[in-house]
Amino acid sequence: MTKTNIYDASVNQSAKDAYFTASQGQLIWTRFKKQRAAMVGAWVLIILILSGLFAPFLTPYDPTIAGRDKDYLNGAPTLVHFCDDNGCSVRPFIYAVERERSIKTNFRWVTTVNTDKRLYVQFFVKGSSYKIAGMNFSAHLFGLDKGYIHLFGTDSTGKDIFSRTFHAINTSLAVGTIGVFIAFVLALVIGGISGFYGGWIDSFIQMITDAVRTIPAIPLFLALAAFIPDTWSAEERFFFISIILGCIGWPTLARRVRTHLLTERNQEYVLAAKLCGASPGHVVRKHLLPSFTSYIIVDLVISFPYMVLSETALSFIGLGLKDPVNSLGVMLQNVTSADVLLNYQWYFIPVFFFIILVLAFVFVGDGLRDAADPYGDTKK
Amino acid sequence: MVQFLRFATLRAALAFFTLCLVSFIVFSLMEMVPGDCAERYLAFKNSQGAMISIADIEFERVRLGLHKPFLQRWATWLFNAFQGEFGDSCILRLNINQLLGQKIWLSIGICLGSLVLAYAIAIPVGIIAATSRNPFLNNGLRLVSYLGLALPNFLLALMVMLFSTVVFGNSLTGLFSPEFRDAPWNTAKVLDFLGHVWLPVFILGWSATAFAIQTVRALLSDEIGKLYVTAAAARGVSGRRLLMRYPARHALSPIINSLGFDLNRIFNELPIVALILTLTEAGSLLIEALARSNDQQLAGAIIFFLTGCIIAINFITDIVLALVDPRIRRSILG
Repeated sequence: MTKTNIYDASVNQSAKDAYFTASQGQLIWTRFKKQRAAMVGAWVLIILILSGLFAPFLTPYDPTIAGRDKDYLNGAPTLVHFCDDNGCSVRPFIYAVERERSIKTNFRWVTTVNTDKRLYVQFFVKGSSYKIAGMNFSAHLFGLDKGYIHLFGTDSTGKDIFSRTFHAINTSLAVGTIGVFIAFVLALVIGGISGFYGGWIDSFIQMITDAVRTIPAIPLFLALAAFIPDTWSAEERFFFISIILGCIGWPTLARRVRTHLLTERNQEYVLAAKLCGASPGHVVRKHLLPSFTSYIIVDLVISFPYMVLSETALSFIGLGLKDPVNSLGVMLQNVTSADVLLNYQWYFIPVFFFIILVLAFVFVGDGLRDAADPYGDTKK
Repeated sequence: MVQFLRFATLRAALAFFTLCLVSFIVFSLMEMVPGDCAERYLAFKNSQGAMISIADIEFERVRLGLHKPFLQRWATWLFNAFQGEFGDSCILRLNINQLLGQKIWLSIGICLGSLVLAYAIAIPVGIIAATSRNPFLNNGLRLVSYLGLALPNFLLALMVMLFSTVVFGNSLTGLFSPEFRDAPWNTAKVLDFLGHVWLPVFILGWSATAFAIQTVRALLSDEIGKLYVTAAAARGVSGRRLLMRYPARHALSPIINSLGFDLNRIFNELPIVALILTLTEAGSLLIEALARSNDQQLAGAIIFFLTGCIIAINFITDIVLALVDPRIRRSILG
């Protein structure tokens, strides 16, 4: 036996040891890394989450009415150039936009692009102040010294759609997180009681869960959201909407928790714990739930996009969030008018970001589900 | 036969019970909205210039039976609802049946159409996907079914509208051409209706199809590796005959079971799609009632009706499954 062989064998051995002593988390991570689609999804997701969190820094303007460009309503996206007839420049630039109203334009406001006047894009510009983690900042990644830059155009009140899109990602993530968290707690408590005790308690809870599941969710959302008084502030609405989303989203998850507990509670380790005098709460928390954590995480990731989409739908009809809170649904309000469809198609740019966000969640969720399934490898 | 009848009765009783429970939830929601019918009615009168007092409101409450206890009113409402009588809408001051009329049937027709479309596509495609080893086909289908989730119906509807407005200059909305809107049903109106209805049916069927393909594929690929399929193949059955007679039959019975929930999902999306495409049916009426006029009687009636349909479908599929699937039949007959 040569030296290298011994070396190989020991590497093999340590790999095996690593495999057999790996924690559940490490095993899932190893399997997850092998799936290319899920990994791409995960990267995209991380980028989107970060850009949502740092939206105020990444975007040039305040997304509310305070940051509006009152001279450029329903304005088309500005194109960023490096080169034009007058030569090239390392620093990207845009053309100045001029707005005039005179006898020549029949006394209507007409905006024209002045290709002779370059406005250079500046980086780390001082702009509107914002707060991240309790500290005040006013630097923005890019912007202009003078004039405005609107990468995705502006809406009917002159708000910058690019800035709104990134703030909307932030809002959607926040709504989703609160909603998923509430749904998760409810599902854990209700499904836990149902699955742990079984018997008539279980049948009773299942009956109610089934009844809640039969009512189509969005009409139910609508009915609940109709309670919100008009006098509530945007923040109160935001929390109430998240709570509603959570209160309706629990049944599916509760069912999964229950099914799992029903099968696990007859296992011997549970009996052993009971014989040692452990209280029901202790058994559920210390013995049953850990056996189930990875599935719960997967379910949470999978139910996240549903929350985001429900919020979008709700805000879209005007029952969800409202200005000045930005979310995709809020931005899509009023886009069905023929005027927007024919003339201002850039209103739809944010939709693509959301499709990507949801797709990333779905890919990661799917990848996690495959990775968390301990029998996934043997099937293939 | 006796056992089967007993099973059917039990299921019917269970469905009835669920319906009562649902009606209780819906009714409580209606009640929780601030302000009752009497106040609204008199507020309306007030706006017309009539002077009203607290006593008038009380009198109106008694006239509408609103002074009775909550449970009693719920029972009355439920009893009437089963007879197809939902009372008057207190905002529009019209009988709800008259308001809903054929609209609710249009909605149900559209939803059932989408469901049929979804499975007409999903069953063959799902079977092909499960049996094929072509990676392009498989990945393509996977992407489509992910898109079914990521591009929900109302966004799809918006995108279709955007596209058709830009390309054809027509937003393809509505259910009828203007000249047919109030016309009685005849051949021309039916043709006009079919010319409009395909779009909502397609849009509503879109994510349902994506889901259904996933389900069919997953169920069938679970069955295909099983021993009885290998055994049948060893006996010389092969090709499509093998697939149809053995795994496909097994895989499809859980699908019958989930039809009710598929319908639920489609109903779920209907109101918003209806709003975008300006369909004149119950879905848009529901949004109108909830978002604009706050008309709880109308909204309650629509939600109750839709849920009733889902429960009915669930009941029917249970019975059909018991008739079709010998395994379930045996478990009932003992």
